[in-house]
Amino acid sequence: MRDLFTGNFGLDPLTGQSILSEIAFYLPNTLELVLFSFLILVIVGVAIGYIAGMHFSTLRDSIARVAYLVSWSTPMYLAAIVAILVFANWLPIFPSGGMYSLSISAPQPVTGIFLIDAVIELNFPAFLSGLHHLILPAVALAFVNYGLISRAVRSSILNVRWSTYVKTARAKGLTETEVRQKHILRNALIDATSLSAVVFGWVLTSTVVVEELFAWPGLGQFAYQAIFSNDYPVLIPVVVVFTLGVIIANFIADVAYSLLDPRIALGGHDVTVT
Amino acid sequence: MSQSLKLRDLVRSSRLSALGLVIVVVSITLAAGFTIFGARITPYNPFALDLQNSNLPPSPSHFFGTDFQGRDIFSRVIAALPIDLGLPIAIVLLSSVLGIFLGMAAGYLGGIVDEVVMRVTDLFLAFPTIIMVLAVAATLGSGLVNAMLAFVFVWWPPYVRLVRGGVLEVAAEDFISISKALNSSFTYIITKGILPNVLPAVLTYATLDVGTALLEVSILGFLGIGIPPNTPELGVMVGSISYGLYTYPWQALLPAFITMILVVGFSFLGEGAREASDVKVRPYILFKTRVLGKAAAKEKSLTATAGRGSIQEAG
Repeated sequence: MRDLFTGNFGLDPLTGQSILSEIAFYLPNTLELVLFSFLILVIVGVAIGYIAGMHFSTLRDSIARVAYLVSWSTPMYLAAIVAILVFANWLPIFPSGGMYSLSISAPQPVTGIFLIDAVIELNFPAFLSGLHHLILPAVALAFVNYGLISRAVRSSILNVRWSTYVKTARAKGLTETEVRQKHILRNALIDATSLSAVVFGWVLTSTVVVEELFAWPGLGQFAYQAIFSNDYPVLIPVVVVFTLGVIIANFIADVAYSLLDPRIALGGHDVTVT
Repeated sequence: MSQSLKLRDLVRSSRLSALGLVIVVVSITLAAGFTIFGARITPYNPFALDLQNSNLPPSPSHFFGTDFQGRDIFSRVIAALPIDLGLPIAIVLLSSVLGIFLGMAAGYLGGIVDEVVMRVTDLFLAFPTIIMVLAVAATLGSGLVNAMLAFVFVWWPPYVRLVRGGVLEVAAEDFISISKALNSSFTYIITKGILPNVLPAVLTYATLDVGTALLEVSILGFLGIGIPPNTPELGVMVGSISYGLYTYPWQALLPAFITMILVVGFSFLGEGAREASDVKVRPYILFKTRVLGKAAAKEKSLTATAGRGSIQEAG
């Protein structure tokens, strides 16, 4: 049990290396993919939800709803396969897999995250190559997972749009832009924040499929190989790392929640949570 | 105005839900048809190998083409429906029954039962779903029942939370305390007072959840874990092609698109139902279907003003 907390997971029976060092190698690659994808997802998700909510029950609302429901219903492997076929095979714009071109000299691992290491070394060819390889898997991941954010933003806009709170804001003489940005959108963002932790968990676990298809050397692929070869000594610490990732994301979301919404205090005793 | 919303209203109010309902009904009919009549309703035998006709592209004789062993993909897609619909529905059904029992116990009994049930639920909620399912399914070994058990193992916690929240809300209502004062039996309060008020929320969530479960089941098949190889399952069909993706893309794309359409069906249906059960939006939908259905000409201007009015009433 003490080994669990000290990170001493022993040796990988398949490769003979220490499991901790393997995780330390794979985890930053996954983080790079997941964080970049999460960034795209939040921007797109909020934008689509906002458009749908502000144009409730119009054509734009219907299109936005169909868009997020369909992409939400897309199997992860379909998004990845279509991305590979269309953008790597038929229109060879992006590479179909891997993390960077082999012709590029990779930067020395400092943080382990390829793009950041490239920036630290001022190695621009490596940075561009890394980004080039990153876009396709990240977009595929974002495409499948942004739906929940859009839906939350849309329904929370619908909840406040006609409320007295927004009427008061208008009555105060605020311009329409101010009302929309500071009252309606901000409120919607608060709801989206608490859900973003859930979505982050989904993105994190979807890497099992995406990394396998895009040959991305990350934790998801590592987990899949461990599961496939019944390598339990590796599987258990990997599941622990994934679980920790979800818990940390939840914690960050809670902190962000309390920053965005002044009514909520962390560990508050005298504040009622709405 | 009655606040109850019938399936008829739901379908009339939203074309999305209507489309979802059509997809769900058609696919379940096909699945039932295949379960009863077997290969007699498919154009080809979905299990028969025909190595001379392998890797054919889609054509009038083979709608979706054939796979690397010459099996007709269209027939295999139909043969996959009972598994791809049955497994998720069974998972959601078992999870919701488990969730209703535990959630009612936690919410209604409270105290130590609540504490224990909810802490265990929180523990399970923290696990990353698909990885846990993969791990459990790999441990249990290949097989459809094992795959289902692996799913139920991680699938039940949201239901407990949902039911417990609903029970806490309903149990605080006056009619429950009055019922208690009238000395109604425990089972009577549970079955007549609480359950009917909690079930609609569970049903709405479950409809959406069948779609999610279907996605994850097909991912399991795609990764080749838990579901036996050569089972006609949509994910397995996609996964078995990965080596020939560039040459025979339809072999992967068509089953994957069918998976998407099935999930879209459940999502549209569930999403419509969810919105219809939202108290802030429901009056608007009822107004639109019952009153505006007759005055369709003035629909646009009326909806805008009337919608606001009725939502204010509810809020």
